[in-house]
Amino acid sequence: MGMQGDFYQLLKEQGYVLGLSGEAGAHQQLTTATTILAFKYLDGVLVAGDRRATAGNLVMYDRTDKVLEIDRHSVMAIAGVPATAYEMARILEHSFKYYRRTQLQELSFEGKLRALSKLLKENVPAALAGTGTVAPIFAGYDLEHDAAKIYFYDILGAEFEGVEYAVSGSGSPTIRGILHYVNTWGEQPLSEMPEEQATVQTLRLLTSAAEFDSATGGVNRDANLYPVVKFITASGVKTMPDPQLRSLFELNVSRGL
Amino acid sequence: MYEEPYRWIEAIGNRRQYLDDQFRQGSPVIGIACDAGILLMTMSKGTPKLYEIYDRLALGGMGHPADLEKLRFNLLEMAHVEGFNRSPSDVTGTRMVKYGIAPVIKQAFEEVFRAPFIVKILLAELGQKAGKDRFLTINFDGTFEEKTQCAVLAASAAIEQEMTAYLQQQPVVSLEQAVTAAVYSWAIGDRAQRQAREESRDQPKGQDAAVRLANDPDLLHEHVRQCMNDMTIECALLDRHMPGASKYRMLEPDELGRSLPNDLGRPTT
Repeated sequence: MGMQGDFYQLLKEQGYVLGLSGEAGAHQQLTTATTILAFKYLDGVLVAGDRRATAGNLVMYDRTDKVLEIDRHSVMAIAGVPATAYEMARILEHSFKYYRRTQLQELSFEGKLRALSKLLKENVPAALAGTGTVAPIFAGYDLEHDAAKIYFYDILGAEFEGVEYAVSGSGSPTIRGILHYVNTWGEQPLSEMPEEQATVQTLRLLTSAAEFDSATGGVNRDANLYPVVKFITASGVKTMPDPQLRSLFELNVSRGL
Repeated sequence: MYEEPYRWIEAIGNRRQYLDDQFRQGSPVIGIACDAGILLMTMSKGTPKLYEIYDRLALGGMGHPADLEKLRFNLLEMAHVEGFNRSPSDVTGTRMVKYGIAPVIKQAFEEVFRAPFIVKILLAELGQKAGKDRFLTINFDGTFEEKTQCAVLAASAAIEQEMTAYLQQQPVVSLEQAVTAAVYSWAIGDRAQRQAREESRDQPKGQDAAVRLANDPDLLHEHVRQCMNDMTIECALLDRHMPGASKYRMLEPDELGRSLPNDLGRPTT
Protein backbone atom coordinates (compact mmCIF):
# COMPACT_ATOMS: atom_id res chain seq x y z
CA MET A 1 0.00 0.00 0.00
CA GLY A 2 2.98 2.24 0.54
CA MET A 3 3.50 2.41 -3.19
CA GLN A 4 0.37 4.54 -3.38
CA GLY A 5 1.93 7.21 -1.20
CA ASP A 6 -0.92 7.09 1.32
CA PHE A 7 0.58 7.66 4.76
CA TYR A 8 -2.72 7.42 6.64
CA GLN A 9 -3.39 4.03 5.08
CA LEU A 10 0.10 2.96 6.14
CA LEU A 11 -0.64 4.04 9.73
CA LYS A 12 -3.93 2.16 9.74
CA GLU A 13 -2.22 -1.00 8.48
CA GLN A 14 -0.02 -0.73 11.56
CA GLY A 15 -3.04 -0.58 13.86
CA TYR A 16 -3.40 3.18 14.28
CA VAL A 17 -6.90 4.46 15.13
CA LEU A 18 -7.81 8.14 15.08
CA GLY A 19 -10.09 9.48 17.82
CA LEU A 20 -11.51 8.06 21.02
CA SER A 21 -14.42 5.70 21.35
CA GLY A 22 -17.81 7.37 21.76
CA GLU A 23 -18.29 6.85 25.48
CA ALA A 24 -14.73 7.42 26.63
CA GLY A 25 -14.98 11.09 27.55
CA ALA A 26 -18.68 11.76 27.29
CA HIS A 27 -18.97 13.39 30.71
CA GLN A 28 -15.59 15.12 30.81
CA GLN A 29 -15.03 18.87 30.56
CA LEU A 30 -13.05 18.91 27.33
CA THR A 31 -10.59 21.57 26.33
CA THR A 32 -11.84 23.43 23.27
CA ALA A 33 -10.46 26.22 21.16
CA THR A 34 -12.33 29.14 19.65
CA THR A 35 -12.16 31.92 17.03
CA ILE A 36 -10.33 31.38 13.76
CA LEU A 37 -10.70 33.21 10.47
CA ALA A 38 -9.24 33.33 6.98
CA PHE A 39 -9.73 35.76 4.13
CA LYS A 40 -8.12 36.50 0.82
CA TYR A 41 -6.07 39.69 0.73
CA LEU A 42 -4.00 41.34 -1.98
CA ASP A 43 -1.08 38.87 -2.06
CA GLY A 44 -2.72 35.62 -1.00
CA VAL A 45 -4.63 34.43 2.01
CA LEU A 46 -4.45 35.52 5.66
CA VAL A 47 -5.24 33.00 8.40
CA ALA A 48 -5.52 34.01 12.05
CA GLY A 49 -6.68 32.70 15.38
CA ASP A 50 -6.98 33.75 18.99
CA ARG A 51 -4.92 31.86 21.55
CA ARG A 52 -7.31 30.81 24.29
CA ALA A 53 -8.17 27.20 25.12
CA THR A 54 -11.05 26.65 27.53
CA ALA A 55 -12.68 23.75 29.36
CA GLY A 56 -16.16 24.85 30.35
CA ASN A 57 -15.72 28.09 32.28
CA LEU A 58 -12.06 27.47 32.89
CA VAL A 59 -9.34 29.12 30.84
CA MET A 60 -6.92 26.23 30.35
CA TYR A 61 -4.24 28.03 28.38
CA ASP A 62 -3.74 31.43 26.81
CA ARG A 63 -0.94 30.72 24.38
CA THR A 64 -2.45 28.07 22.14
CA ASP A 65 -1.34 28.09 18.53
CA LYS A 66 -4.46 27.36 16.49
CA VAL A 67 -2.98 28.24 13.11
CA LEU A 68 -0.81 25.30 12.15
CA GLU A 69 1.54 25.25 9.21
CA ILE A 70 1.04 21.93 7.44
CA ASP A 71 3.50 22.44 4.59
CA ARG A 72 5.20 25.27 2.72
CA HIS A 73 1.94 26.43 1.13
CA SER A 74 -0.88 25.31 3.39
CA VAL A 75 -2.20 26.04 6.83
CA MET A 76 -4.88 24.45 8.99
CA ALA A 77 -6.63 26.61 11.58
CA ILE A 78 -8.34 24.64 14.31
CA ALA A 79 -11.53 25.12 16.31
CA GLY A 80 -12.70 22.37 18.62
CA VAL A 81 -10.85 19.82 20.72
CA PRO A 82 -7.11 20.54 20.40
CA ALA A 83 -6.01 16.98 21.12
CA THR A 84 -7.83 15.67 18.05
CA ALA A 85 -7.06 18.72 15.95
CA TYR A 86 -3.32 18.54 16.64
CA GLU A 87 -3.36 14.83 15.85
CA MET A 88 -5.08 15.55 12.53
CA ALA A 89 -2.52 18.25 11.77
CA ARG A 90 0.32 15.82 12.47
CA ILE A 91 -1.22 13.19 10.22
CA LEU A 92 -1.71 15.74 7.44
CA GLU A 93 1.81 17.08 7.76
CA HIS A 94 3.29 13.60 7.48
CA SER A 95 0.85 12.60 4.74
CA PHE A 96 1.75 15.53 2.49
CA LYS A 97 5.47 15.02 3.02
CA TYR A 98 5.18 11.29 2.50
CA TYR A 99 3.27 11.77 -0.72
CA ARG A 100 5.79 14.30 -2.04
CA ARG A 101 8.75 12.10 -1.14
CA THR A 102 7.33 8.84 -2.47
CA GLN A 103 5.63 10.14 -5.61
CA LEU A 104 8.26 12.80 -6.34
CA GLN A 105 5.58 15.44 -6.82
CA GLU A 106 3.38 17.59 -4.58
CA LEU A 107 -0.05 16.35 -3.64
CA SER A 108 -2.62 18.48 -5.46
CA PHE A 109 -4.53 21.08 -3.48
CA GLU A 110 -7.71 19.07 -4.05
CA GLY A 111 -5.92 16.01 -2.68
CA LYS A 112 -4.94 17.92 0.44
CA LEU A 113 -8.53 19.06 0.98
CA ARG A 114 -9.77 15.52 0.58
CA ALA A 115 -7.19 14.20 3.06
CA LEU A 116 -8.57 16.46 5.79
CA SER A 117 -12.13 15.55 4.86
CA LYS A 118 -11.30 11.85 5.24
CA LEU A 119 -9.81 12.40 8.71
CA LEU A 120 -12.90 14.33 9.84
CA LYS A 121 -15.14 11.60 8.48
CA GLU A 122 -13.21 8.91 10.35
CA ASN A 123 -13.50 11.03 13.48
CA VAL A 124 -17.31 11.29 13.31
CA PRO A 125 -18.03 8.89 16.22
CA ALA A 126 -15.75 10.91 18.52
CA ALA A 127 -17.14 14.18 17.16
CA LEU A 128 -20.75 13.17 17.79
CA ALA A 129 -19.84 11.96 21.27
CA GLY A 130 -18.34 15.37 21.94
CA THR A 131 -14.91 13.99 22.67
CA GLY A 132 -13.26 14.96 19.42
CA THR A 133 -15.20 17.76 17.75
CA VAL A 134 -13.08 19.65 15.23
CA ALA A 135 -14.33 22.26 12.73
CA PRO A 136 -11.20 23.46 10.91
CA ILE A 137 -10.36 25.91 8.17
CA PHE A 138 -7.87 24.79 5.53
CA ALA A 139 -6.23 27.53 3.50
CA GLY A 140 -3.35 27.61 1.12
CA TYR A 141 -1.82 28.72 -2.11
CA ASP A 142 -2.54 26.41 -5.04
CA LEU A 143 0.63 26.71 -7.13
CA GLU A 144 -0.88 24.64 -9.93
CA HIS A 145 -3.66 27.18 -10.46
CA ASP A 146 -1.75 30.17 -9.08
CA ALA A 147 -4.54 31.02 -6.65
CA ALA A 148 -5.12 31.45 -2.92
CA LYS A 149 -7.88 29.19 -1.62
CA ILE A 150 -9.89 28.86 1.58
CA TYR A 151 -12.08 25.93 2.67
CA PHE A 152 -13.97 25.31 5.87
CA TYR A 153 -15.39 22.05 7.17
CA ASP A 154 -18.22 20.83 9.32
CA ILE A 155 -17.52 18.21 11.96
CA LEU A 156 -18.71 15.42 9.65
CA GLY A 157 -16.10 16.18 7.03
CA ALA A 158 -18.05 18.19 4.45
CA GLU A 159 -15.88 20.84 2.83
CA PHE A 160 -17.10 24.25 1.68
CA GLU A 161 -15.18 26.86 -0.23
CA GLY A 162 -14.91 30.25 1.42
CA VAL A 163 -14.79 32.29 -1.75
CA GLU A 164 -13.73 35.43 0.07
CA TYR A 165 -13.51 34.46 3.72
CA ALA A 166 -14.28 31.75 6.25
CA VAL A 167 -14.71 31.65 10.02
CA SER A 168 -15.09 28.95 12.64
CA GLY A 169 -15.31 28.54 16.41
CA SER A 170 -17.58 29.89 19.12
CA GLY A 171 -16.67 33.52 18.43
CA SER A 172 -17.25 33.23 14.70
CA PRO A 173 -20.91 34.38 14.56
CA THR A 174 -19.80 37.81 15.82
CA ILE A 175 -17.16 38.36 13.20
CA ARG A 176 -18.95 36.71 10.31
CA GLY A 177 -21.36 39.65 10.14
CA ILE A 178 -18.52 42.15 10.43
CA LEU A 179 -16.57 40.45 7.65
CA HIS A 180 -19.62 40.60 5.38
CA TYR A 181 -20.10 44.27 6.18
CA VAL A 182 -16.45 45.23 5.69
CA ASN A 183 -16.14 43.24 2.50
CA THR A 184 -19.36 44.61 0.98
CA TRP A 185 -19.50 48.22 2.15
CA GLY A 186 -16.02 48.94 3.46
CA GLU A 187 -13.63 51.33 1.72
CA GLN A 188 -12.27 48.40 -0.26
CA PRO A 189 -13.00 44.65 -0.44
CA LEU A 190 -10.86 42.35 1.67
CA SER A 191 -9.19 40.92 -1.41
CA GLU A 192 -7.72 44.34 -2.27
CA MET A 193 -6.24 45.03 1.12
CA PRO A 194 -2.46 45.05 1.46
CA GLU A 195 -0.84 42.95 4.18
CA GLU A 196 -0.75 45.61 6.88
CA GLN A 197 -4.33 46.72 6.41
CA ALA A 198 -5.52 43.12 6.37
CA THR A 199 -3.70 42.57 9.66
CA VAL A 200 -5.34 45.60 11.26
CA GLN A 201 -8.76 44.28 10.21
CA THR A 202 -7.86 40.90 11.69
CA LEU A 203 -6.84 42.38 15.03
CA ARG A 204 -10.09 44.37 15.15
CA LEU A 205 -12.14 41.27 14.25
CA LEU A 206 -10.54 39.08 16.91
CA THR A 207 -10.82 41.84 19.50
CA SER A 208 -14.55 42.08 18.68
CA ALA A 209 -14.94 38.31 18.98
CA ALA A 210 -13.26 38.38 22.39
CA GLU A 211 -15.62 41.15 23.48
CA PHE A 212 -18.70 38.96 22.99
CA ASP A 213 -17.33 35.44 23.43
CA SER A 214 -15.67 34.48 26.71
CA ALA A 215 -14.02 31.48 25.09
CA THR A 216 -12.07 33.72 22.70
CA GLY A 217 -8.89 35.30 24.00
CA GLY A 218 -8.23 38.88 22.96
CA VAL A 219 -5.05 40.88 23.01
CA ASN A 220 -3.27 41.14 26.34
CA ARG A 221 -0.60 43.79 25.99
CA ASP A 222 0.66 43.38 29.56
CA ALA A 223 1.39 39.72 28.88
CA ASN A 224 2.63 40.53 25.36
CA LEU A 225 -0.04 38.20 24.03
CA TYR A 226 -1.25 38.63 20.47
CA PRO A 227 -3.20 36.44 18.05
CA VAL A 228 -1.37 34.26 15.56
CA VAL A 229 -1.51 35.80 12.08
CA LYS A 230 -0.07 33.92 9.09
CA PHE A 231 0.08 34.84 5.41
CA ILE A 232 0.22 32.32 2.58
CA THR A 233 1.45 33.55 -0.77
CA ALA A 234 3.09 31.98 -3.80
CA SER A 235 6.41 32.13 -1.96
CA GLY A 236 5.16 30.23 1.08
CA VAL A 237 3.86 30.71 4.62
CA LYS A 238 5.09 33.47 6.91
CA THR A 239 4.06 34.56 10.38
CA MET A 240 3.71 38.19 11.46
CA PRO A 241 6.04 38.72 14.43
CA ASP A 242 4.59 39.92 17.75
CA PRO A 243 6.43 43.30 17.79
CA GLN A 244 4.80 44.17 14.48
CA LEU A 245 1.40 43.06 15.75
CA ARG A 246 1.91 45.17 18.87
CA SER A 247 2.75 48.23 16.82
CA LEU A 248 -0.28 47.80 14.53
CA PHE A 249 -2.54 47.16 17.49
CA GLU A 250 -1.43 50.27 19.36
CA LEU A 251 -1.74 52.48 16.30
CA ASN A 252 -4.98 51.18 14.83
CA VAL A 253 -6.94 49.10 17.31
CA SER A 254 -6.41 50.20 20.87
CA ARG A 255 -8.47 53.44 20.70
CA GLY A 256 -10.55 53.48 23.86
CA LEU A 257 -9.69 49.89 24.78
CA MET B 1 23.64 -28.38 -3.00
CA TYR B 2 24.08 -25.11 -1.09
CA GLU B 3 23.57 -26.81 2.25
CA GLU B 4 27.24 -27.79 2.11
CA PRO B 5 29.28 -24.90 3.66
CA TYR B 6 31.84 -24.85 0.88
CA ARG B 7 29.14 -24.61 -1.77
CA TRP B 8 27.50 -21.78 0.07
CA ILE B 9 30.77 -19.84 0.35
CA GLU B 10 31.43 -20.43 -3.32
CA ALA B 11 27.96 -19.21 -4.22
CA ILE B 12 28.42 -16.07 -2.14
CA GLY B 13 31.79 -15.49 -3.78
CA ASN B 14 30.23 -15.79 -7.22
CA ARG B 15 27.50 -13.45 -6.19
CA ARG B 16 30.02 -10.88 -4.97
CA GLN B 17 31.88 -11.05 -8.27
CA TYR B 18 28.63 -10.74 -10.22
CA LEU B 19 27.62 -7.67 -8.24
CA ASP B 20 31.07 -6.08 -8.56
CA ASP B 21 30.71 -6.38 -12.33
CA GLN B 22 27.23 -4.84 -12.29
CA PHE B 23 28.39 -1.65 -10.61
CA ARG B 24 31.02 -0.88 -13.23
CA GLN B 25 28.16 0.38 -15.37
CA GLY B 26 26.88 2.71 -12.67
CA SER B 27 27.34 6.40 -12.09
CA PRO B 28 29.31 7.36 -8.95
CA VAL B 29 27.60 9.39 -6.23
CA ILE B 30 29.26 12.05 -4.07
CA GLY B 31 28.14 13.60 -0.79
CA ILE B 32 30.05 16.51 0.69
CA ALA B 33 29.38 18.93 3.54
CA CYS B 34 29.79 22.68 3.09
CA ASP B 35 28.58 25.92 4.69
CA ALA B 36 25.28 25.77 2.83
CA GLY B 37 24.53 22.22 3.97
CA ILE B 38 25.19 18.83 2.41
CA LEU B 39 25.56 18.53 -1.34
CA LEU B 40 24.73 15.28 -3.13
CA MET B 41 25.87 14.98 -6.72
CA THR B 42 25.80 12.45 -9.53
CA MET B 43 25.26 12.31 -13.29
CA SER B 44 22.45 10.33 -14.81
CA LYS B 45 20.76 9.48 -18.08
CA GLY B 46 17.20 10.29 -17.11
CA THR B 47 16.52 8.11 -14.08
CA PRO B 48 17.07 10.19 -10.95
CA LYS B 49 19.45 8.82 -8.34
CA LEU B 50 19.09 11.40 -5.57
CA TYR B 51 16.05 11.47 -3.30
CA GLU B 52 14.56 13.14 -0.25
CA ILE B 53 13.93 10.66 2.59
CA TYR B 54 12.99 12.78 5.57
CA ASP B 55 13.33 16.33 6.86
CA ARG B 56 17.11 16.09 7.22
CA LEU B 57 17.86 12.88 5.34
CA ALA B 58 18.69 12.43 1.67
CA LEU B 59 19.67 9.39 -0.33
CA GLY B 60 21.95 8.80 -3.28
CA GLY B 61 22.07 5.41 -4.91
CA MET B 62 23.94 3.29 -7.43
CA GLY B 63 22.62 0.14 -9.00
CA HIS B 64 19.38 -1.25 -10.35
CA PRO B 65 16.58 1.35 -10.35
CA ALA B 66 13.92 -1.18 -9.22
CA ASP B 67 16.02 -2.31 -6.25
CA LEU B 68 16.79 1.28 -5.35
CA GLU B 69 13.07 2.10 -5.46
CA LYS B 70 12.21 -0.80 -3.18
CA LEU B 71 14.77 0.22 -0.57
CA ARG B 72 13.84 3.89 -0.92
CA PHE B 73 10.24 3.01 -0.09
CA ASN B 74 11.38 0.93 2.88
CA LEU B 75 13.31 3.92 4.18
CA LEU B 76 10.44 6.33 3.54
CA GLU B 77 7.96 4.13 5.38
CA MET B 78 10.26 3.63 8.33
CA ALA B 79 11.21 7.28 8.59
CA HIS B 80 7.66 8.63 8.39
CA VAL B 81 6.07 6.11 10.74
CA GLU B 82 8.90 6.67 13.23
CA GLY B 83 8.65 10.45 12.85
CA PHE B 84 4.91 10.31 13.47
CA ASN B 85 4.94 7.82 16.34
CA ARG B 86 7.90 9.38 18.13
CA SER B 87 9.24 12.65 16.74
CA PRO B 88 11.16 13.90 13.71
CA SER B 89 14.24 14.25 15.94
CA ASP B 90 14.23 10.48 16.44
CA VAL B 91 14.51 9.79 12.72
CA THR B 92 18.28 9.50 12.38
CA GLY B 93 20.37 8.08 9.59
CA THR B 94 22.13 5.68 11.93
CA ARG B 95 18.86 4.13 13.14
CA MET B 96 17.45 3.92 9.61
CA VAL B 97 20.54 2.07 8.41
CA LYS B 98 21.48 -0.10 11.39
CA TYR B 99 18.02 -1.29 12.30
CA GLY B 100 16.32 -0.71 8.97
CA ILE B 101 17.74 -1.43 5.56
CA ALA B 102 21.24 -2.82 6.26
CA PRO B 103 19.86 -6.09 7.72
CA VAL B 104 17.42 -6.37 4.80
CA ILE B 105 20.22 -5.97 2.24
CA LYS B 106 22.47 -8.40 4.08
CA GLN B 107 19.77 -11.03 4.28
CA ALA B 108 19.02 -10.79 0.57
CA PHE B 109 22.72 -10.99 -0.23
CA GLU B 110 23.28 -14.15 1.81
CA GLU B 111 20.17 -16.05 0.79
CA VAL B 112 21.53 -17.63 -2.34
CA PHE B 113 18.11 -18.71 -3.63
CA ARG B 114 16.91 -15.10 -3.60
CA ALA B 115 18.04 -12.29 -5.86
CA PRO B 116 20.34 -9.84 -4.06
CA PHE B 117 19.73 -6.09 -4.12
CA ILE B 118 21.92 -4.66 -6.85
CA VAL B 119 22.38 -1.44 -4.97
CA LYS B 120 24.80 0.72 -3.04
CA ILE B 121 23.38 3.51 -0.92
CA LEU B 122 24.66 6.77 0.47
CA LEU B 123 22.49 8.31 3.18
CA ALA B 124 23.30 11.91 4.13
CA GLU B 125 22.05 13.44 7.36
CA LEU B 126 22.11 17.18 8.00
CA GLY B 127 23.07 17.78 11.63
CA GLN B 128 21.12 20.07 13.93
CA LYS B 129 24.38 21.94 14.51
CA ALA B 130 27.31 22.74 12.22
CA GLY B 131 29.88 19.95 12.29
CA LYS B 132 27.27 17.31 13.12
CA ASP B 133 26.59 16.24 9.53
CA ARG B 134 26.79 12.50 8.91
CA PHE B 135 27.13 10.19 5.93
CA LEU B 136 26.33 6.49 5.92
CA THR B 137 27.25 4.23 3.04
CA ILE B 138 25.83 0.74 2.63
CA ASN B 139 27.37 -1.84 0.35
CA PHE B 140 25.42 -4.50 -1.56
CA ASP B 141 26.26 -7.07 1.14
CA GLY B 142 24.76 -4.94 3.91
CA THR B 143 28.03 -3.68 5.40
CA PHE B 144 27.84 -0.02 6.31
CA GLU B 145 30.24 2.76 7.28
CA GLU B 146 29.72 6.12 8.91
CA LYS B 147 31.68 9.17 7.77
CA THR B 148 31.67 12.85 8.59
CA GLN B 149 32.98 15.30 5.98
CA CYS B 150 32.30 13.46 2.73
CA ALA B 151 31.39 10.08 1.32
CA VAL B 152 31.21 8.48 -2.13
CA LEU B 153 29.77 5.50 -3.94
CA ALA B 154 31.61 3.90 -6.83
CA ALA B 155 32.11 0.49 -8.42
CA SER B 156 34.95 -0.61 -6.15
CA ALA B 157 36.56 0.29 -2.84
CA ALA B 158 39.76 1.31 -4.63
CA ILE B 159 37.97 3.85 -6.79
CA GLU B 160 36.04 5.15 -3.80
CA GLN B 161 39.32 5.69 -1.97
CA GLU B 162 40.73 7.73 -4.84
CA MET B 163 37.60 9.86 -5.09
CA THR B 164 37.58 10.44 -1.34
CA ALA B 165 41.27 11.31 -1.29
CA TYR B 166 40.64 13.92 -4.00
CA LEU B 167 37.69 15.40 -2.09
CA GLN B 168 39.70 15.62 1.11
CA GLN B 169 42.40 17.63 -0.65
CA GLN B 170 39.97 20.27 -1.89
CA PRO B 171 39.21 23.43 0.06
CA VAL B 172 35.42 23.13 0.41
CA VAL B 173 33.64 25.93 2.23
CA SER B 174 31.10 27.42 -0.19
CA LEU B 175 28.46 25.65 -2.25
CA GLU B 176 30.34 26.51 -5.45
CA GLN B 177 33.48 24.86 -4.11
CA ALA B 178 31.46 21.81 -3.10
CA VAL B 179 29.91 21.51 -6.58
CA THR B 180 33.30 21.85 -8.26
CA ALA B 181 34.94 19.28 -5.99
CA ALA B 182 32.03 16.87 -6.41
CA VAL B 183 31.98 17.15 -10.20
CA TYR B 184 35.71 16.48 -10.55
CA SER B 185 35.57 13.68 -7.99
CA TRP B 186 32.77 12.15 -10.04
CA ALA B 187 35.00 12.40 -13.13
CA ILE B 188 37.76 10.51 -11.33
CA GLY B 189 35.36 7.75 -10.40
CA ASP B 190 33.60 7.52 -13.73
CA ARG B 191 36.81 7.55 -15.73
CA ALA B 192 38.28 4.83 -13.51
CA GLN B 193 35.16 2.69 -13.88
CA ARG B 194 35.27 2.99 -17.64
CA GLN B 195 38.92 2.04 -17.57
CA ALA B 196 38.16 -0.95 -15.35
CA ARG B 197 35.50 -2.16 -17.78
CA GLU B 198 38.08 -2.21 -20.52
CA GLU B 199 40.74 -3.95 -18.47
CA SER B 200 40.81 -7.65 -17.79
CA ARG B 201 39.48 -8.81 -14.45
CA ASP B 202 42.95 -9.83 -13.27
CA GLN B 203 44.21 -6.26 -13.26
CA PRO B 204 43.57 -3.73 -10.48
CA LYS B 205 40.10 -2.22 -10.87
CA GLY B 206 40.72 1.21 -12.17
CA GLN B 207 42.99 2.44 -9.43
CA ASP B 208 45.85 3.43 -11.73
CA ALA B 209 43.53 5.36 -14.02
CA ALA B 210 42.05 7.19 -11.05
CA VAL B 211 45.46 8.25 -9.78
CA ARG B 212 46.51 9.49 -13.21
CA LEU B 213 43.36 11.56 -13.64
CA ALA B 214 43.45 13.09 -10.19
CA ASN B 215 46.73 14.69 -11.12
CA ASP B 216 45.44 16.20 -14.33
CA PRO B 217 42.70 18.83 -13.84
CA ASP B 218 42.37 19.46 -17.58
CA LEU B 219 41.58 15.81 -18.24
CA LEU B 220 38.98 15.79 -15.46
CA HIS B 221 37.34 18.89 -16.87
CA GLU B 222 37.30 17.48 -20.38
CA HIS B 223 35.84 14.18 -19.17
CA VAL B 224 32.95 15.94 -17.45
CA ARG B 225 32.34 18.12 -20.50
CA GLN B 226 32.13 15.06 -22.74
CA CYS B 227 29.82 13.22 -20.34
CA MET B 228 27.47 16.19 -20.32
CA ASN B 229 26.64 15.43 -23.96
CA ASP B 230 24.45 12.51 -22.98
CA MET B 231 24.14 12.79 -19.20
CA THR B 232 22.65 15.32 -16.82
CA ILE B 233 24.27 16.64 -13.68
CA GLU B 234 22.01 15.99 -10.72
CA CYS B 235 22.62 18.01 -7.56
CA ALA B 236 20.56 18.04 -4.38
CA LEU B 237 21.15 20.07 -1.26
CA LEU B 238 20.14 19.50 2.35
CA ASP B 239 19.97 23.23 2.87
CA ARG B 240 21.07 24.34 6.33
CA HIS B 241 19.43 27.74 5.89
CA MET B 242 16.10 26.63 4.48
CA PRO B 243 13.13 27.75 6.61
CA GLY B 244 10.76 25.05 7.87
CA ALA B 245 11.40 21.45 8.85
CA SER B 246 12.15 19.99 5.40
CA LYS B 247 15.67 20.88 4.28
CA TYR B 248 15.91 19.01 0.98
CA ARG B 249 15.87 20.74 -2.38
CA MET B 250 17.24 20.14 -5.85
CA LEU B 251 19.63 22.79 -7.13
CA GLU B 252 17.81 24.90 -9.71
CA PRO B 253 19.37 24.87 -13.20
CA ASP B 254 20.44 28.53 -12.88
CA GLU B 255 22.01 27.96 -9.50
CA LEU B 256 23.77 24.84 -10.70
CA GLY B 257 24.96 26.64 -13.83
CA ARG B 258 26.51 29.39 -11.70
CA SER B 259 28.20 26.86 -9.41
CA LEU B 260 29.79 24.70 -12.08
CA PRO B 261 33.41 25.32 -12.97
CA ASN B 262 34.44 27.27 -16.10
CA ASP B 263 32.51 26.43 -19.27
CA LEU B 264 30.49 23.57 -17.73
CA GLY B 265 27.80 25.92 -16.51
CA ARG B 266 25.62 25.77 -19.59
CA PRO B 267 21.90 25.23 -19.04
CA THR B 268 21.10 21.84 -17.55
CA THR B 269 17.87 20.07 -16.81
